[in-house]
Amino acid sequence: MTETPAEDGGEQPEVGEGAATGEGAETDRPSVLVPLEVLEGESPPPGTPELLANARVVLLGYHVIPEQTAAEQAREQFGETAMSKLGEFADRLAEAGSDVETRLVFTHDKETTIDRLIYEYDCLAVLVPNSTERVDSVLVALRGTIGVGRNVRLVAGLFADAGVDVTLYHVLDEGESLDDGESFLNGVKTDLVERGIDLDRIETLVEDADASIDAIAGRAESHDAVVMGETDPSVTTFVFGMPSELVAERFLGPVLVVQRERPEE
Amino acid sequence: MTDSESPDSPGPPTATESGAAVSPAGGDVPDALAAVVDADTGEGELERTIGLVGGLAIGVGTMIGAGIFVFPGLAAENAGPAASLSFAIGAVIALLVALPASELATAMPRSGGGYFFISRGLGSAAGAVVGLGLWLGLVFAAAFYLVGLGSYAGQVFLEAGIALPIDPAVPLGVAFGVGLTALSLFGTENTAALQNGIVILLLVILTLFLSYGSLDALGVFGAERVPERFFPPGGALPVLQTAALVFTSYLGFAQVATVAGDITEPSRNLPLAMVGSVLLVGVFYVVTIFVATSAFGSARLGEFGETAMVEVARSFVGLPGALAIVVAGLLATFSSANASILSASRAVYAVSRDGVIPETASRLNLAYGTPHVALGLAGGPIVVLAATGQVALLAEVASFLHLVMYGLICVALIKLRREDPAWYDPSFRCPAGFAVAGVGGLASFALIAFMQSASIGVGAAVMIAAYGWYRYYATDVELKGDF
Repeated sequence: MTETPAEDGGEQPEVGEGAATGEGAETDRPSVLVPLEVLEGESPPPGTPELLANARVVLLGYHVIPEQTAAEQAREQFGETAMSKLGEFADRLAEAGSDVETRLVFTHDKETTIDRLIYEYDCLAVLVPNSTERVDSVLVALRGTIGVGRNVRLVAGLFADAGVDVTLYHVLDEGESLDDGESFLNGVKTDLVERGIDLDRIETLVEDADASIDAIAGRAESHDAVVMGETDPSVTTFVFGMPSELVAERFLGPVLVVQRERPEE
Repeated sequence: MTDSESPDSPGPPTATESGAAVSPAGGDVPDALAAVVDADTGEGELERTIGLVGGLAIGVGTMIGAGIFVFPGLAAENAGPAASLSFAIGAVIALLVALPASELATAMPRSGGGYFFISRGLGSAAGAVVGLGLWLGLVFAAAFYLVGLGSYAGQVFLEAGIALPIDPAVPLGVAFGVGLTALSLFGTENTAALQNGIVILLLVILTLFLSYGSLDALGVFGAERVPERFFPPGGALPVLQTAALVFTSYLGFAQVATVAGDITEPSRNLPLAMVGSVLLVGVFYVVTIFVATSAFGSARLGEFGETAMVEVARSFVGLPGALAIVVAGLLATFSSANASILSASRAVYAVSRDGVIPETASRLNLAYGTPHVALGLAGGPIVVLAATGQVALLAEVASFLHLVMYGLICVALIKLRREDPAWYDPSFRCPAGFAVAGVGGLASFALIAFMQSASIGVGAAVMIAAYGWYRYYATDVELKGDF
């Protein structure tokens, strides 16, 4: 919340500045929101504690209530149960090493709640909680230079000393050459190394594919987790769903959806 | 170290600050009031999801069904063109109550509305009578709207040229009552967006219709119509009696307060939604009567009954106009009935939460997340009352029970301002509070006197029964100043 607003607006992958301008004053741990519908039986799936061991986890337990029910009414009846479950989950995550904050919200609208908490905690990413057996290799799908600094901060923050292989992956845009793609990824690679990831743990992969979602989901199969950006809602996303959701559905493993820079209030 | 507020993470707001609900839309001032109410007490926090438009839609959507689509015929028959004065009187009284109610709501933005203010301000006995009265008042109101809805549904058959052997209004109303109750029990679709859309569509249809009608009445499209004598033969008395009858058209603004716990930025949005919705519908009602009484003589309007507006529209633009008003009438009475059923269920929740009635009444159904007992306690009697088909009686009893609450809201405001307890810190202050509340309270009680004796009798019986219940069941409940 102390970043300069212009940071991700530039065309250059100007990473490294985030830490310099004040992120370090707060905490180096990237904030990751983990939303769970606790009363519907959702819990952090296996592998999540390991994946987020270096994160500051905002563990959001939420319960969606129909409009004919007052939120207070639901809290009165279910609050205690939900809170104790959430406490258990938080313990599990903390044992693996993460800083955990828990929030329990009764809401009529899940999106409003998730969005509010992303703001409040300035979350770098939201986890789509799926299970994984281990966390040895991560696919980082990068679309372009805009906002890439946030991906770098997240990946470096989570996996710098974790002995995890990182594969940087880029699907070429129309009119973009293979060289453009490679030099983009190499720039990101340099930034990651500066931030403490081992050079020989980073691979780069540029591909020319028609459907980037299919390509990402396909590549993801040989990895344990995916990091990708969020997409602006549009007609296409309205009809087919958000790309990150589609990838998560097919991949069936955990997906960290990197959030856009939220405008300062 | 895993609890919500780990002290070693200085950056984020703690749970107590977080209720400030900084809206993502940007630029909003955090609402200190909401922050206090929503603060996580160890059992989770509450997301506020209804904005100003949603609040206005609840108020307008609850009210507009009756005043425009059910009452014009009845009101004109009783008071002639002066019925528009009756509606204006109702609007003034509603405003005089809406202002104090807004102040109280911003001091106590909790679900339960008028019941909550009165039980906290005046104590358990008054609270119990008003709380149970509010539940039954809404039950009567919903039954009244259902009969209106049935009339419009019946009009559909009429327009289609299908002759029915009996008047279908009451059976259809009952059927809708059963359907709506079932829908609210099992439906988990979010209907807020739908409700907003319905209200906007209604306002568009009405604005077009009333603009055309007004121009026509003023002679723009031909010969100016000769207005009949403004005041009815009986003078002021029928006008006041009609004001008492049609006051049901203004019951919706308090419904905004019953969902106060879900409204974003309550200090700003609650007063705006309550006062704004009264002003909006008030203007529509007055113009509607003006247009209707210009189109037909009052006696003729009376013969048309509940669906008089359909005939008015037909006289202007023929069948398309009639159909537009039939559709609008269906939407309006449907949304009024639906809103009243939900409000009645919230009223049951509010009294049961406080132990005025057994706690079982507010249990939620785990599968659907809906308060099935409360909805049953609302829907059951609503269906029975709708079956009586007594439009005027249902409307007046609903008004009676609400007016008692409104009067007491004004009393509560005066009392709280006088005593000024530590917890009383409204962020909206009613201008000229004592005067507004004083006049508003007196006017509310006075209006009751102009009702039919049968309505007064039923209303009084309900209140006595509510007090009896309180003496029997809830004398040990202490609610004054309890949060």
